[in-house]
Amino acid sequence: MIEFKNVTKSYEKNKSDALKNVSLFIDKGEFVFLVGRSGAGKSTFIKLLLREIEPTQGSIFINNYNIANLSKREIPFLRRKMGVVFQDFRLLENKSVFENVAYAMEIIGKSEKQIRKRVPLALDMVGLSHRINHYPHELSGGEQQRVVIARAIINNPTILICDEPTGNLDPETSYEIISILEEINRRGTTIVVVTHDREIVDVMKKRVLTLEDGALTVDDAIGRYGYEV
Amino acid sequence: MKFSSIKTMPKNVVRDTLKSIERNNLMSAASILSVIAALIILGIFLILTINVSELTKDVESRLELKVFLQSDFTDAQKLTVQQALEDSDMIESVTFESSQEALDKFSASLDQYSSLLSGYNSQNNPMPASFIIRVKDPNDLEAVQTLAMTFKDKGVEYVKYGEEYVQVLVNFSNFTNTLSLVVLVVLSIISIFIIYNTIKLTVFARRREIGIMKYVGATNNYIRSPFILEGTLLGLIGAIVAFLVIRIAYYYVLGLLSGSSFLPVGTTLASPDLVMGKLIYFFLIYGGLIGAIGSIFAIRKFLDV
Repeated sequence: MIEFKNVTKSYEKNKSDALKNVSLFIDKGEFVFLVGRSGAGKSTFIKLLLREIEPTQGSIFINNYNIANLSKREIPFLRRKMGVVFQDFRLLENKSVFENVAYAMEIIGKSEKQIRKRVPLALDMVGLSHRINHYPHELSGGEQQRVVIARAIINNPTILICDEPTGNLDPETSYEIISILEEINRRGTTIVVVTHDREIVDVMKKRVLTLEDGALTVDDAIGRYGYEV
Repeated sequence: MKFSSIKTMPKNVVRDTLKSIERNNLMSAASILSVIAALIILGIFLILTINVSELTKDVESRLELKVFLQSDFTDAQKLTVQQALEDSDMIESVTFESSQEALDKFSASLDQYSSLLSGYNSQNNPMPASFIIRVKDPNDLEAVQTLAMTFKDKGVEYVKYGEEYVQVLVNFSNFTNTLSLVVLVVLSIISIFIIYNTIKLTVFARRREIGIMKYVGATNNYIRSPFILEGTLLGLIGAIVAFLVIRIAYYYVLGLLSGSSFLPVGTTLASPDLVMGKLIYFFLIYGGLIGAIGSIFAIRKFLDV
């Protein structure tokens, strides 16, 4: 569950606000696209969710918890409830597929036994079981993105945030990635996909939020790409 | 959850740390060398300080202040002076020596010439009675003298204390203490800075990894620990090497000096056991701390994601 209440974010005093009085509610288990031009405030939105930055005004609730009140010590525990998928993958080159996914479990102190059990399951889910001992540079873009998704869901987050997950992929691979996300969503994880990919948004017929110059202009329940290019 | 993350930490952390030291071998070596250099210089100063302070202590322990009483002092005067001296917290002990005891002592010290004093007896004894005072801190010698002199002509004739060279020694000891402290501070800053730069390279090389760690919810302590471990390890390695160098050098110098007439009679260098015992603890703590502090500074900036 994600809720923004009148959230405004300005980076510098005399510049225009990156987000302007945005209010929105994303329920548990929803699949939502967030679209908008470059500079419309999409990155700011994600950074706010991950508590990389704090809102200038307004409050943000995640699972009924106001994250503006989080102390620095609590931020890591907030992030453990959220998985993140990046456009540029951010895999560790010197670690194998298995190690990259296991890494997310090591960091939060899971036992080796749990790691050996869970990592293959996650890789199976994204269809990468056959690549388990390969290294990122041996994989295609789509395969790398699957590793990232496996890493993002390995700790069972309640929310999965995807920042341009198909930005570096060809259309066919993009559909595969999105259908994996859909499958994850079907198992109950809330998914927020920030994207430029008009075609995918139109085909998926999910809820679409559109940001324009920092303001939420369209909130379309079964949406199409919300602005003309 | 927090506990389990601490439990499983060491294995990953140690693995990553060793890898990192290996990867930055040149900078790591530079850091270790700088700690070695700093600690050798520090070690020399410390050994100097320890020796001077041992020597001073030795001389001090033999140091006494004598308050001579007037030949016609009264018991009341004696009591007043004794009371005042015993009440002062600068004073370790006060011993009364009567004129008869002083004469006996003097006579005994003359040995076979003691007959020279045979004309003196309790009636015409020329030796004054006195209080023999040991002070706790030789810096207070003058203050105690002043205190005793307040009873001048009220029972006290005059006060005498150790030769001037004692004061010189005390001054020198204080000087070496101060100098060592200055050297300690300056060299610490330099070493911390060099380790800081080394660890910054490591942090920079692993900045992607740090970013990923933050996004999957690693705590700051988890992220910090391998870097702090790396810095501490560099410091400790430097400390151990520096200790070995100093130890070998000290024994060597000790060997050269024993049997030479370089040292003043009756003195010697502080025993190696004493010096090395103090030094190894200091080196290890110092090396570890310097490394840890340098790394904490180096990682601080990168933690704010």
